[in-house]
Amino acid sequence: MSSILQELESQISGLKTSTTKSNVGIVREIGDGVARIEGLSDVMLNELIEFPGGLYGLALNLEEGEVGCILLGDEKGVVEGVEVKTTGRLLSVPVGKGLLGRVVDTLGAPVDGKGPITASAIYPVEKVAPGIIKRKSVSQPVQTGIMAIDAMIPVGRGQRELIIGDRATGKTTIAIDTIINQARINKANEGKPGFRPLYSIYVGIGQKNSNIARSLAVLEAAGAMPYTIIVSAPASDTATNQYLAPFSGAAMGEWFMDNGMDALIVYDDLSKHAVAYRQVSLLLKRPSGREAYPGDVFYLHSRLLERSARVDEKNGNGSVTALPIIETQAGDVSAYIPTNVISITDGQIYLETDLFYQGIRPAVSVGLSVSRVGSAAQIKAVKQVAGKIKGDLAQFRELAAFAQFGSDLDAKTKSILDRGARIVELFKQVQYNPLATEVMVTTLWSMQNGYMDDVAVDKIKDFQLKLQDYFATRKDAVLAKIRDTGAINDDITADLKAALSEFKSSYR
Amino acid sequence: MKLDKDARKLTKGLFQLSLTNGRLDQKKVSAVVSKVIASKPRSFVGILKEYQRLVRLEVGKHHAVVESATPLDKQAGDHLLANLRAKYGNDLTIEFKTTPELLGGLRIKIGSDVFDSSVRERLARLETQLTHA
Repeated sequence: MSSILQELESQISGLKTSTTKSNVGIVREIGDGVARIEGLSDVMLNELIEFPGGLYGLALNLEEGEVGCILLGDEKGVVEGVEVKTTGRLLSVPVGKGLLGRVVDTLGAPVDGKGPITASAIYPVEKVAPGIIKRKSVSQPVQTGIMAIDAMIPVGRGQRELIIGDRATGKTTIAIDTIINQARINKANEGKPGFRPLYSIYVGIGQKNSNIARSLAVLEAAGAMPYTIIVSAPASDTATNQYLAPFSGAAMGEWFMDNGMDALIVYDDLSKHAVAYRQVSLLLKRPSGREAYPGDVFYLHSRLLERSARVDEKNGNGSVTALPIIETQAGDVSAYIPTNVISITDGQIYLETDLFYQGIRPAVSVGLSVSRVGSAAQIKAVKQVAGKIKGDLAQFRELAAFAQFGSDLDAKTKSILDRGARIVELFKQVQYNPLATEVMVTTLWSMQNGYMDDVAVDKIKDFQLKLQDYFATRKDAVLAKIRDTGAINDDITADLKAALSEFKSSYR
Repeated sequence: MKLDKDARKLTKGLFQLSLTNGRLDQKKVSAVVSKVIASKPRSFVGILKEYQRLVRLEVGKHHAVVESATPLDKQAGDHLLANLRAKYGNDLTIEFKTTPELLGGLRIKIGSDVFDSSVRERLARLETQLTHA
């Protein structure tokens, strides 16, 4: 006992003198957001370094006698010869529900002028992804509210689904639609036992400020902001902040995962993220590789996306779903960064310019889009009605190329072509207007069961809208039944048949 | 002037040659310098500058700079030197400086380690605690 007391006493007397030991270095070179520092013999990789005037840096290159450091702010006021010191800390950001509804920068500081943020905890920006033992397989769906995606390329909670396409093909729109749909579902099911809300985090990297503002306005108008965090590192921000922003977003998502909640993170976009990292690396004089990207640009994205996971009950019982976005140049998916990210993710939604200008929006290319794990998470009712659609569409496209040549088509071919044209029409969907699952199920069911075969292709959209209206106003009970059972049984089939024949008799 | 890879390697080798049992040897240093000046290898000025930097850093590791607000008396200085030598080795050299800005207390810098018990540092810490808490 006395030894403990002695130890305590010596510790307290040690406190009184209050001598601090620190490890310091001298700035030798500074510029372009990068500093080279001499000294700092005890510095650790990724450690925060304190500059005079409250500026911090991150030690990224540890060389013999010198340390390469990137600055997390404005370098004005730092001159050659000033003393800097190590802090023994890692870069961390505030996390928690207090951030919902807010717009923050890379360091978690608010930029929306709505006052300070109350954080539940502080999480390190760089964290090792959950290991094999902690993980659970993906089995719960993320409803994007976009019929083409939910029916053919389902996404599950904990999955990483890449959204890839040229500029202006609707990549961000898909992500925003998904966020809006989550908010809608969260609002409708609030307080229901067993319901797991999905919180969204939108990370804008290297975007125009006007684009982020537009996304924010759309989310606010749709009432999605109470369930959303926006991490903004616009094009005017430093390359350091752009490079770190997705990691900050991932840290915020991990808090939800660790506390039994689900999160969805949109990284918009990782092409610009790679460019920011390339800039930082080149300024640090790291050797460059293909397209001047540093050798570890693959690891950069793999360690980021590996942090999306679904963990078991013992390790937080939550999930982080990632929707990274990649912008291709002239449809070239075989460029360096796109191939890297395609190989890391669990599937991709490929958007085509041609389809977009043909008026097929969302311009999802059915042939090139896949989801490698999502089908396990698809709701049974959707699986029942959408199981064959991908195959039907593939057949349709194959035959459509043929049909251009000749006029003599046998009945079978013609039916495939007719069905295909109607599916394509059905999958067109205006932006920021996600559909509920039960509405999707009823629409697809009526199409699969031939109720749309005698409707002209250019009338399909009209038919669909009126059908949705009809169900919403007069057959609410059927929709509720589908919503509650999550599958189509004989009872519901009978209801649907009755409803459809009634609707068809009145449809003009 | 940027030093190329080979010159950098050569400098590192020269520096290794100037050590005896891991400590800088004055005789060897002057021998290395005169040899380099005599043989004039490619970009030898750059090599010498880099060599000087390495030597400066190495010397700095065994040199203590003690700053105080008022000059220390001889006894306190000797006591301090004895204590520091016990910790950092017997070849430690010491330099005393008077820095009134410290207001009080001591600041000792050895290599890149800094022990700070000055009033200025404590005030600065208090300030950050009050402003960032």
